[in-house]
Amino acid sequence: MIGQLFDKPILIFGCGNILFGDDGFGPAVVNHLKANYVLPDDVLVMDMGTSIRDTLFDLSLSEKKPKKIIIVDAADQSDRKQGEVFEIPVEGIPEKKTADFSLHQFPAVNILQELKNLTRIDIVVLVAQTEVVPDTIKPGLSETMQAAVSDACERIMQYVTSKNPKKPYEDQGL
Amino acid sequence: MGKVVNIQPVTRIEGHAKVAIHLDDAGNVADTRLHIQTLRGFEKFVEGRPVEEMPRIVCHICGICPWSHHLASSKAGDACFGVTPPPAAVKLRRLMQMIAYVGDKLLHFYFLAAPDFLIGPDADYAVRNVVGILSAAPDIAKQVVHYRHLTAQILENFAGRAIHPTFSIPGGVSKPMTEAERLEMLDHAKGLLDFSKFTIKFAKENVFAKYMDAIKALGVIKVGYLGLVTDDGTLDFYDGKLRMMRPDGTYDDFADDAYLDHIGEHVEPWSYQKFPYAKTWGDGPVMDLDNPVGVYRTNCLARINVCDKMATPLAQTELEEFRDNFGRPAHLTLLYHYARLIELLQCAEHTVELLEDPEITSPDIHTKVVPRTGRGVGCVEAPRGTLIHDYESNDEGLISRANLIVGTTHNNAAMNLSVKQAAKELIKDGTYDQAILNKVEMAIRAYDP
Repeated sequence: MIGQLFDKPILIFGCGNILFGDDGFGPAVVNHLKANYVLPDDVLVMDMGTSIRDTLFDLSLSEKKPKKIIIVDAADQSDRKQGEVFEIPVEGIPEKKTADFSLHQFPAVNILQELKNLTRIDIVVLVAQTEVVPDTIKPGLSETMQAAVSDACERIMQYVTSKNPKKPYEDQGL
Repeated sequence: MGKVVNIQPVTRIEGHAKVAIHLDDAGNVADTRLHIQTLRGFEKFVEGRPVEEMPRIVCHICGICPWSHHLASSKAGDACFGVTPPPAAVKLRRLMQMIAYVGDKLLHFYFLAAPDFLIGPDADYAVRNVVGILSAAPDIAKQVVHYRHLTAQILENFAGRAIHPTFSIPGGVSKPMTEAERLEMLDHAKGLLDFSKFTIKFAKENVFAKYMDAIKALGVIKVGYLGLVTDDGTLDFYDGKLRMMRPDGTYDDFADDAYLDHIGEHVEPWSYQKFPYAKTWGDGPVMDLDNPVGVYRTNCLARINVCDKMATPLAQTELEEFRDNFGRPAHLTLLYHYARLIELLQCAEHTVELLEDPEITSPDIHTKVVPRTGRGVGCVEAPRGTLIHDYESNDEGLISRANLIVGTTHNNAAMNLSVKQAAKELIKDGTYDQAILNKVEMAIRAYDP
């Protein structure tokens, strides 16, 4: 799969730690997509766990850049309903939120903002509002978040079918 | 009452960190605290799980060094079951470790450290970032991406997964290597070695020489070191005895399963992360900048200090030059970057050596394991420091107790001291700016937490 990283114009990355309850939302969405949907040939979908930073670094420096990156993640925002699926604009993530954006072991927001500002990649951060992210290890999504998985998958399928780029990739430079 | 200056998040480090700098009424640094997010509850979570499942579970502890946890856990499983994997299995484990580490060390130097040096520590964050590297050194950036991607592809093509590996299991590994795979991988490995040679030459000429003033001043502390070495004192990432070196260069060697006799674990009320310390060096830990007690460091500078020699010829030549310039032990914190590249060279050379060894294609890759009551300590050198997995199993082969110490945790006390040193050196009379705060961050980034 990772061999196709620079060859696919649409990349879907499920992010999160499956050991921490609802933080495993991203990987769960990836698994559901793979099991229940036929994805277009120009889409690469990967469970990145907590490893996405390496890949974002590589993409940021590569000549071959995708058209679109869809990050699927868990979020904790006080004004949202538990299980609500929504987009976070990369540039709209408040500075104070960059640290507690999720329980991940990586501050990927910095790199996402660099990618957004300095390249022409269309970046979508699709998240679901968590119900339970435990302080200590406890795998498994809450029922609320489990129900949100199919909603997120439907949204993703709309992204990848209605906005599907025709070219395999372009050398976009900066 | 003074104020608190927060740096949050600390950009481009491998963990999720924030720094709180406490200023006194005069605006000088009274104290600093580095907070790093930690994974809690893992030891309890794994109780009752089969030992053979552990190498797959532990990959989820850290997204940055899953191979290190995977291999440390496999070694702990070997020891729990009392088995020795066949030589080819050990060589394949070592091979995967070396390839993963080459990618990791390239990541750290070019993506995390280089913006500070190639673009300049005083530059605005808007340009002092990874994309700024593309403008500053476009040809190198292309090669970095190529070779980093190559390491991930090799891991995935041979071992099945690059991110959440399932390759290593107690008793050995899950698949042998064919001759065709060996030849193809050897060709790639030679390319990785060439780029590693280029990287250390480039860094010596364009980074370390240029920033020697900063290297001599930033985050400097004088503490001890910990790392794995073989019986003859050679640096080894996969196996060996632990060597704990005091600040004056004297040291004690001990078996990895005796780590509890030498390493204590202290807690502070303001941090979730443990503070390991050297138990035998007095009443530690004392995190006093002028007189630290029990504080030691791990990761590449520590390994370069504790070893008598490197395992490969080109890396050995580099070590000798390093020691001619900085002595042993070398205490300058920013030398972590230099040490990391000496290690990069050893990893790349060792990759080629392993692939030129015909035994690596032996089909004998697994020793049968039988559940039993036992204890197993698996210790490897992870990119970020000495990684210890300590398991006890019951007669059904289920985990009854587990204890983990990860690389970054060993460095917790030392990182706090380096942050304090850098902040005290740079912030005077309440005067600071983004460039100064970035230099404080640089002291942390050197450790690659």
